[in-house]
Amino acid sequence: TLQVTQHNQEVHHVSRRSAPELSLHSLADMGFSETQADCIYDAVSKIRGGSAARHALSALTALFVLGLNPSSVLKVLEKCPELYTVKESQLQQRTANLRKLGLVEGSLQRVVAHYPQILTVPVKTVKRAVLFLREKCLFTAQQVTDILRDSPATVVENMGQLEYKFQYVYFRMGVKQAEMVKSRLFRFTLDEVRQRHCFLERRGLYQTPDKNGQTIIINPKLDGILHVDQDTFLTQVAKASAEEYDVFKRLMAREWREEEQQSGGLEADSD
Amino acid sequence: EKWAATRVKHPPTSLALQHFDATYNVQLGQLWPSVRCALLSERKYGALFNNFSQDAVLADLEAQGCRDFIRDMDTEGRRAPPVDTEHQQLPPLWLGPDIRCLVFPRGDITRFKPARPDTYGLLGYYLMDAASVLPCLALDVQEGHNVLDLCAAPGGKTLALLQTQSIGFFCVNDMSVSRTLRLRKVLHSYVPKQFLIEDKLRVTSFDGTKWGDIERNTFDRVLVDVPCTTDRHSVMEDDNNIFNKSRTAERRRLPQLQLELLMAGIEAACPGGEIVYSTCTLSQIQNVSVVEQAICLAQENHGIHLQVVDLQPLTHMFRKTFHFAPDLHIGEMVVPHLAANFGPIYMCKLRRLT
Ligand SMILES: C[S@@+](CC[C@H](N)C(=O)[O-])C[C@H]1O[C@@H](n2cnc3c(N)ncnc32)[C@H](O)[C@@H]1O
Repeated sequence: TLQVTQHNQEVHHVSRRSAPELSLHSLADMGFSETQADCIYDAVSKIRGGSAARHALSALTALFVLGLNPSSVLKVLEKCPELYTVKESQLQQRTANLRKLGLVEGSLQRVVAHYPQILTVPVKTVKRAVLFLREKCLFTAQQVTDILRDSPATVVENMGQLEYKFQYVYFRMGVKQAEMVKSRLFRFTLDEVRQRHCFLERRGLYQTPDKNGQTIIINPKLDGILHVDQDTFLTQVAKASAEEYDVFKRLMAREWREEEQQSGGLEADSD
Repeated sequence: EKWAATRVKHPPTSLALQHFDATYNVQLGQLWPSVRCALLSERKYGALFNNFSQDAVLADLEAQGCRDFIRDMDTEGRRAPPVDTEHQQLPPLWLGPDIRCLVFPRGDITRFKPARPDTYGLLGYYLMDAASVLPCLALDVQEGHNVLDLCAAPGGKTLALLQTQSIGFFCVNDMSVSRTLRLRKVLHSYVPKQFLIEDKLRVTSFDGTKWGDIERNTFDRVLVDVPCTTDRHSVMEDDNNIFNKSRTAERRRLPQLQLELLMAGIEAACPGGEIVYSTCTLSQIQNVSVVEQAICLAQENHGIHLQVVDLQPLTHMFRKTFHFAPDLHIGEMVVPHLAANFGPIYMCKLRRLT
């Protein structure tokens, strides 16, 4: 917490230095080139509401405080212009919360650069996602940190979907938490995961382990299934033709759509 | 919990799959993963066009993108495939094209809508595995032939054969009474009454293995479409599954039953007559082995000399639509493939020389 207060002070300090006006001049002072400053100025003036300029300043400073340089700050804001409108206090709470969850300097900076939307997510939402990962999926605190670092968008994913994906990989594929984290599972949608898994399973190349975790064949590693492009997946892992996989994907899409419609219908009935 | 949901420990479908993994891996080698995946995925159908129906279904189906695979042959197939003996070519009067079967193109997963009755109450098409039409084409019925369909229910192949409208007398049999009833229903939904009268067509429910005792040396053509492990059904449906523990004995007896049925079919054919044996399994023991044994037994026990008729000229024509297994010792086999998910269908044609 000491660290956090220090940062907050720094934020205030920077804010004061460049406050109260957002001008091309103040942007240049912050280290933006002329064209970069123009971009930001344009973007801010497009946002309606009197507080835009003030929020913009706090967003800029918050990003500087994370250690991003001017060109990365600009990129982040281009990726997520919403940040211009987030209140300073909220930004502080959010970054503080992420730090508390273990995203220390370098990682937090990388996460924000890669997925700036994380700063638009309320602390409450992040906490709920973390609680879910800890309690429903039994990830350790360190594993949760790793998930936040590698797949920050997980925090905004629909909980039901997330649970389904976790259970699919845990029960159907027999993959434990540590391997899920290592293979950065949460970067992929459920459909991406089960498309490849089902294809392998139907080809006889993947088996659900029994109660004792045993399989007759050696399953390919999750990482090797997910983190390869389709060509490599087909030639190295599935040993199938692109034509087969193309038809398979269309068949599965239809199968799942129909399943959903059915179960949707059932749920509606039981309500 | 959703995925750990209570499941039967060893449902027949998984037993079937285990069994196939063990046997077909050896039999099909590298081909097996691809066939396995196709077997476990949604199959394709063909619409056997009903020549007796008055509806303009054909144009309708064609507008949806279907084509009659029998007319739409591989053009190179017309050129003589590498077979030399002249009697192995298709006869000049090949009635195959009287049978039409529409399929969606390769890779197209569109489903057929159920057929609707025309003004006379007859249905426009019958949905069946398009590969099931091949044994009927292979049978090569000629004008006026006496034909026996030994295991006919529910009647898909019977219906295909009736489309030629050239059968002199048609004997349609299936031992199962309830399935024969279904067969009758099918016939009445597709064929006008005047074609179903007793002097043209007879439906019976005899034990096919005994046919040789009833009627020998009679039929020009005999179709022996035997009960088998119905591979696709066995890996997909737990109901009525031959891999159910309680049916182990029945399953083990299949090759013997198949042999007896084929023997009866051979005896029922007249000298010079032709017999087509077919199954919907990939199993060597139920396919090639049964035929080989039948050829031996026919010679030894009945003095019937049989010749295996090469079906390659036929399969060659349809290789655009189906995947055929390479290097089969006797007969031809359609193997399922995701882009052309028909079969499995095994067929072998025999000609009685004596
Ligand atoms: C593969 S199915 C026939 C399918 C049919 N040919 C069609 O295309 O619709 C096999 C049939 O053999 C019949 N069957 C079983 N044992 C028999 C026997 N001993 N004699 C005659 N038919 C028998 C079964 O009742 C079953 O209907």
